[in-house]
Amino acid sequence: MASDRGTDLPDALLVERARRGDAGAFEALVRRHYRAAFAVALALLGNAMDAEDVSQDAFIRALERLDEIRRPERFAAWLLQIVRNRARNYHDYRRVRSAASLEEVQAHGDDDTANAAERSELRRKLESELSGLGETQREVVLLHDLEGWKHREIAQALEISEGMSRQHLMVARRTLRERLGVEFLKEHSHD
Amino acid sequence: MTEDRIDFSPLDPTEDAERFEGIVASISDAAAPALATRRARASVVGQVGLWWKPLLAAAALAGIVSVGALLHYQASATTIAELEDVGIAEAIGVPSQIADWVRSDEAPTTAELLWALEEQS
Repeated sequence: MASDRGTDLPDALLVERARRGDAGAFEALVRRHYRAAFAVALALLGNAMDAEDVSQDAFIRALERLDEIRRPERFAAWLLQIVRNRARNYHDYRRVRSAASLEEVQAHGDDDTANAAERSELRRKLESELSGLGETQREVVLLHDLEGWKHREIAQALEISEGMSRQHLMVARRTLRERLGVEFLKEHSHD
Repeated sequence: MTEDRIDFSPLDPTEDAERFEGIVASISDAAAPALATRRARASVVGQVGLWWKPLLAAAALAGIVSVGALLHYQASATTIAELEDVGIAEAIGVPSQIADWVRSDEAPTTAELLWALEEQS
């Protein structure tokens, strides 16, 4: 059952096709929502490598449970709930391998270019400072600033009000700026 | 508001396109068996979907034939039972006239009773 990548199709249709085993539709869902899944996993775990593991696992889990989704048009919010559950279960596992985790992150970033080393350092710095925020603040700031979601979407997915989403974003950004330092942010700005 | 955005691009898993393709491929590979199962199940359900009307019609026809046969059998069985009742009454020496009264569940009049006794003697 081959299909196109389905990048323009709505989630509800992709879910329906994936239910029937359409690999292209499932891949389109992965491409569309991977970053959001990663953002939430990172917010809960504070570690990019673990977040990656959990995000990938969450997609497989989501596929197994695809028949249970009641509102396919709200696939993203449903997926993020699975990510959240998997991330919480992952905490225990991570405690065991926490010592190895930092080595993996460093190893992953250990490319032969100076730029890669700098990116790796920046990634570690961001991870470290994110860990100082509350869980919901991390979810909001990552979904907003990394994934580009609107407050309405964040509010729906996290089951909070839009006002609360704005509040969390404001506090998270202010805290991160204070901790990262204005110079650091300017230095690493893409603009 | 956009200028306030924190630059999280170093954490963006899609930033490195090659690496992201690897992640997508990894998820797709892991999902392949489950997707294959779903395809197989969808095709079975699809076949049943295509054939359900003819199957339903055949089942209905079989039901009608069965009910007809059952009714016919019941009617035959009743006739045989009646014949068997008469046979037993006559076998134990009950006059056929009295056996008729028993079967019809009607009490004979005195005249009919006398006439039957006279005929018997």
